[in-house]
Amino acid sequence: MPGFFEKNKKHIAILILFLFLFWLVTYQVKAGRFTVLERPVLAVSGFVERIISGTYNAVISIGRGYVFLVRAERENLRLKNELGRLRLENQITNELLSENERLRAALGFMKLNSPASVVVQVIGKETSPSSSTITVNKGSSSGIGRDHAVITPDGVVGRVQTVLPGTSRVQLLTDPGNTIAVRVQRNREEGLLEGKLDRCALKYVSYYVDVQEGDLLVTSGLDGIYPKGIPVAVVTKVRKHEASSFQTVYADPVVRISRLEEALVLLK
Amino acid sequence: MKPRVYLIVALLLIPLQASLFGPLSLGGAAPDLGLAVLYCVGLLTGPIEGSLAGIAIGLTQDLGSASLIGFSGFTRGLVGLFTGLLGRRVLDIQSPSNIIFLFVISLVDSLFSALFLEITYGSVPVFGLFFGRAILRAATTAVTGYGILRLMTGKNVLAWIRRRELQKES
Repeated sequence: MPGFFEKNKKHIAILILFLFLFWLVTYQVKAGRFTVLERPVLAVSGFVERIISGTYNAVISIGRGYVFLVRAERENLRLKNELGRLRLENQITNELLSENERLRAALGFMKLNSPASVVVQVIGKETSPSSSTITVNKGSSSGIGRDHAVITPDGVVGRVQTVLPGTSRVQLLTDPGNTIAVRVQRNREEGLLEGKLDRCALKYVSYYVDVQEGDLLVTSGLDGIYPKGIPVAVVTKVRKHEASSFQTVYADPVVRISRLEEALVLLK
Repeated sequence: MKPRVYLIVALLLIPLQASLFGPLSLGGAAPDLGLAVLYCVGLLTGPIEGSLAGIAIGLTQDLGSASLIGFSGFTRGLVGLFTGLLGRRVLDIQSPSNIIFLFVISLVDSLFSALFLEITYGSVPVFGLFFGRAILRAATTAVTGYGILRLMTGKNVLAWIRRRELQKES
C-alpha cells in the first residue's frame, strides 16, 4: 500500500488539488466570492496593460495624424468629455421631468446636482467565459473607491470591483455576479437586474407585472451604488410560464460594451 | 518547465489577453489566449505538468476577473490534463487537426461555464451564448493556438524541450 502512494504521489496530489478547487467553488457559491490576492494580481496585470495599451494607443494616434492635429484632437477630447457630461445631465433632467409630470406636483424647483465624476480610459477587457470585467487607467489616487458607479453618457457600465492607486478593475453589468436595482421607466415597476454574460435578466418579476419588449430599464437608486434614473438596459424578450409565478425577462445593455473606450466613474 | 516560468506566463497572460487581444475580437469574441497557451503546454509536456499549468493559469485568471476563485483553475486544470493525455497518446503536435481539437475543447469549456452559471445563478441564455459567442471564440482560439504551436515547432522549441526531458531522465 505505501508503495502505491509512493508510486502515484503526483497523481494523488493533483487529485487532491482538483477536489480542493471543487470544494472552493461550491463554498463560494454559498458564502460569496473570495477577494484574496486580487490587488497584487491587478497591480501586475494593470502595469503591463498600461504599457501595452499606451503603446497601442500611441500607434493608433500616429496613424490618425496625431502629429499634425494635436491641438484639434485635444480640443475634440475636451468637447467630447463636456458633451458626455451634458448628455448625462440631460438624461437626469428628463428623468426628473418625467417624475414631476407623473406626480403632477410641479411645485417649486429642484436643483440638479450632478455627481462629481472622473473620466477614465479603458486599458483592458477581460474575456473569460464566466465573467465580464474591464481595467481602467485611474484608481484611488483620483478619488475612485470600491463600488463606485461607472457610467457613460448612454447609461450604466458597471461598478468598481478592485482599486489600486493608478488602476481599477470594473465589474460590468453583464457579469453574473453583478446586480443592479432598476425600474421600468414606463410604469415604474421595480426589479433586480442581473448580468448573464452577453445580456442581463430581471430577477423575480411576478407573472402579473406588466413588462414589455422595448421597455427601458433605469436605475432606481435603491442599491445605494447608482444614482436614480440612469438608463441601464432595454427589454428584448419576455417569457411567461404558466407553471411559474415569475416571468423571465431578458434585457440588452444600452451601452455597447465591446466598443467602450472611455467612461465616467461617479465619486460618492 | 519551472514553476516560476508558469507563474510569469500566467501573470502575463491576463494583461496580454485584456489589452492586446481585446481589439482583435471577432464579433465581440476575442481568442482565449490562456486556453490556447495551455493547449500547447499540455501537448508538449504531458498530463501531470499540463494539469498543473492549467490550474496555475486558471487560478490567475480567476484572480484577475470577477469569477469565483478556483472555477477556471478547475476547468483549465482538466483541459491541461486532457490535452496532456491527447499529446501523449493520440495527437501529432504538428498536425493541422490540432485546430479541430482546440476548437472542440474551447466549445466544451464555454458550454461548461455557461451550464455552471445556469445552475448557480439561473436564467443564463445557454443556447444564445453558445451560438452567439462560444463558436466565434472557439474559432479564434483554435487559430491562435495552432499559430502558437506552429511558431514553437518552427523555432525548435520542441527539440529544446525533448533535450531537457532526456537530460532529466539521464
